[in-house]
Amino acid sequence: MQVVAHRGVLCVMEEEKSVVVGVCIRAATPDRLIQICVENFGPDELDEQSEEYCRVFFLMHQWFMKSEELAQAFIDFYQGCDETITCDLPDCQHLPINDDCPVQQYKVKICRAVRYWIQQNPVHFAMDSPLRKATDRLGQLLLAEGNTKLKQLVDLSQVPSYDWMRNMSVRNPSNHNRKVSLVFNHLEPEELADQLTYLEYKAFRRIHFSDYKNYAVTASLKENPKLERSIGLFNGLSQWVQCMILSKTTPQQRADVITKFSNVSKRLRVLQNFNTLMAIVGGLTHSALARLSKTNACLPSETQKTLMEFTELLSSNNNFSNYRKVYHQCVDFKIPILGVHLKDLISLHTALPDRVEGNLINFRKMAQLSLMLQELTRLQRVDNIPVDANMDLVNTLRLSLDLNYTEDEIYELSLAREPRGSVSSPTTPTKPVMFADWISGVSPPDPNTINKHVHDMVEAVFKNYDHDKDRFISHAEFEAIAGNFPFIDSFYVLDADKDGMISKDEMKTYFIRANCHALRNSFKHAFHETTYFKPTFCIHCTGLLWGIIKQGWKCKECSINAHKHCKDLVVMECRKGMAAKRTDSISNGSVSNDLTYSAKRKISQRHKQAQLLAQSSENKAGSNTGMQNNQNNQKDQVFQDDGPREGEFYEEQHLLYDRWLKSEEAREQLIAENSQLRARLEVANDQILILKSHIGVIRQNTIAFILEQMDALHMQRDSEV
Amino acid sequence: MKEYKVVVLGSGGVGKSALTVKFVSGTFMEKYDPTIEDFYRKEIEVDSAPSVLEILDTAGTEQFASMRDLYIKNGQGFVIVFSITSLQTFQDIKTMREQIIRVKGIEKIPMILVGNKADLDQQREVPSSEGSALAQFWGCPFLETSAKSTQNVNEVFIEIVREMNTSPMKEKGGCCQIL
Repeated sequence: MQVVAHRGVLCVMEEEKSVVVGVCIRAATPDRLIQICVENFGPDELDEQSEEYCRVFFLMHQWFMKSEELAQAFIDFYQGCDETITCDLPDCQHLPINDDCPVQQYKVKICRAVRYWIQQNPVHFAMDSPLRKATDRLGQLLLAEGNTKLKQLVDLSQVPSYDWMRNMSVRNPSNHNRKVSLVFNHLEPEELADQLTYLEYKAFRRIHFSDYKNYAVTASLKENPKLERSIGLFNGLSQWVQCMILSKTTPQQRADVITKFSNVSKRLRVLQNFNTLMAIVGGLTHSALARLSKTNACLPSETQKTLMEFTELLSSNNNFSNYRKVYHQCVDFKIPILGVHLKDLISLHTALPDRVEGNLINFRKMAQLSLMLQELTRLQRVDNIPVDANMDLVNTLRLSLDLNYTEDEIYELSLAREPRGSVSSPTTPTKPVMFADWISGVSPPDPNTINKHVHDMVEAVFKNYDHDKDRFISHAEFEAIAGNFPFIDSFYVLDADKDGMISKDEMKTYFIRANCHALRNSFKHAFHETTYFKPTFCIHCTGLLWGIIKQGWKCKECSINAHKHCKDLVVMECRKGMAAKRTDSISNGSVSNDLTYSAKRKISQRHKQAQLLAQSSENKAGSNTGMQNNQNNQKDQVFQDDGPREGEFYEEQHLLYDRWLKSEEAREQLIAENSQLRARLEVANDQILILKSHIGVIRQNTIAFILEQMDALHMQRDSEV
Repeated sequence: MKEYKVVVLGSGGVGKSALTVKFVSGTFMEKYDPTIEDFYRKEIEVDSAPSVLEILDTAGTEQFASMRDLYIKNGQGFVIVFSITSLQTFQDIKTMREQIIRVKGIEKIPMILVGNKADLDQQREVPSSEGSALAQFWGCPFLETSAKSTQNVNEVFIEIVREMNTSPMKEKGGCCQIL
């Protein structure tokens, strides 16, 4: 290792054998690094070796100094030229016309270095206004000297704006707009993979050098919104995969969704989008799904094979060697597994110090870091994404992925779907274990982001599904879209004003409320034992809660009721604040309930009449009665399918009849209970009588005893006296 | 020679990397490349039996929730690290054992609890007694380390090998495999 001392102070160490090809500086002071950089820009083009040095230097300078400071250093060197560079030319004024003047030549070198910086890293200049100002100062200095030729070199007007990097919004893609389904069930796996890749790349390319650096140095996501957003997308996707699967009720349905996602993975592999691949495979192999033995038994062997292959590919074994090998073989567009490369950055940063030998910049470390960061920043600049974005689909997906469940909630859902068998793990407790979410770093998306996502999604949904452009979504249309959201409420909850149609505002309101409050809440309920004074039914099995006292368990937060043995199986989110609204929906004993129903009935009748009037005036052909009957029948069926639920609007006779049957049933049960109670009362009365007579006897005995004692005492006293 | 897969877990910033790097490279840290697989393999002799450790440092990936399950599936022994200077990091790892059990599907898992940054004793927020209480509750050893001064660094990995020797896990952990 060569050590060069400058004015008695150690300022540069050279490599004996360079770690990174072309970089032979081991360590140096910042000034010395800048000087070396400037020296490289002779009259000729950069040779390979010096180009490598300059590339590393300009890419990495932000690790140890601000860009603004670097620009200022160039200005200082420029202004100091007259003193530091000796000019032997006779009578030289060091003017721009003196081409042979070493001072002037040095100035040219400085400007060419700045030119190289602008060309290689335009994003530094676009994102950093102090740097732009400093560069403008240099430009003015050049103009003042009449150096117009050099002024052109440091011109910033050609730097692209990079607006997309600055703000978090998604730039509008090509006008290309195919008509595709926004519905998960109809969506082709390839299409889904393409759109996810588009979303992923948008998030990935926004991560700036300084974001990587801050994460490597602080190991925290604080004040690192871009990286946080990308990680949020990753986790949201994993959760969405799990929730989409767990929202299905039968093992076969769940297996079908797994197969679908496994096909999505295949396409992601073809697209070389390893980050999304990791998120989906991570979701599919998550412990909450891996334990579903019934579901896994339904998986076709091909899906099992695909999943095995991908698990192998993404395995952390041997420091992710399988992934690294494949990743390096991929050319053109690719998205790396961000986590793996962040890990490398952190390890390298931990292992090597920033400064060595006192205050020298550890340039070998910079060269090593540059190998990773250069690759990442290069990939961010790729413009030809191999996928076409469909903004409607992207917007819908984006909102779907904003879900924010905890690991525990998903695991509990998994337990509810396929409860633990007694054979599989006898030692584990049957009650779900509570886990705190230990990844506290990623905060849920902020309300503004959610509002924006909701807005975009709703616009997209209406654009594609509001076929008659009346700005309302009908019930059938709604059912189709609801498939994308694992735990969406029924049509009737969204239809807040109960007009049988969902308006844009209703949909927005619902999703914003759902995202901000409810979806973040859990499947966990605060159940406590409760005594009911009117017949109440279980939310899970819809059976009556039997008994006289403590018939069942009620959730303190959302007031749903369940049997003791059903309460752990309830798969319904706990919606806080619903308590006040949620009356015991199935029981209708109270007067106030009757009132609400009659009120509702009146309103519904009014609605119907209005509808009839409107229809008959529109369509006088007379054939509409049949049509309407049909419609009514359809509606009836829909109502039946949905089952009784809170806040629904019972306007159909059929349904009312159902309700009546149920209440009849409840009445009969009550009568039976009543006679039972009467019998008990009689028994109790008998007992009371017996006890009363006992008391009489006891009282007599006691009084006799006391009197005897008193007599005895009297006699004692008398004898003593 | 026996091979062991060890996973180092814990919140961000507790010094997992520092601990791992110190162990695998000792004092010699002139040249370092975290991307090559050999870097995380190290031969050590425990109770006069030579063994090879393959260490997975999870630093930087703490926030990627679904990667954690994959790590746990792959690992045989677990080094669970918190920083004695941050109570939060101690709270974070309290659920870790449950999570590993959930993924592995078995109760007896070789692990060791580690309180790092012992050199910063004046900034201590987690008393030693709390660390040992949790370790006792988990039924695993507890060590306080300093990656900076290399205090107890090798001991952590020797202990985890001993743990793996006393409760050997099945090669492809538990009933939680997808196939």
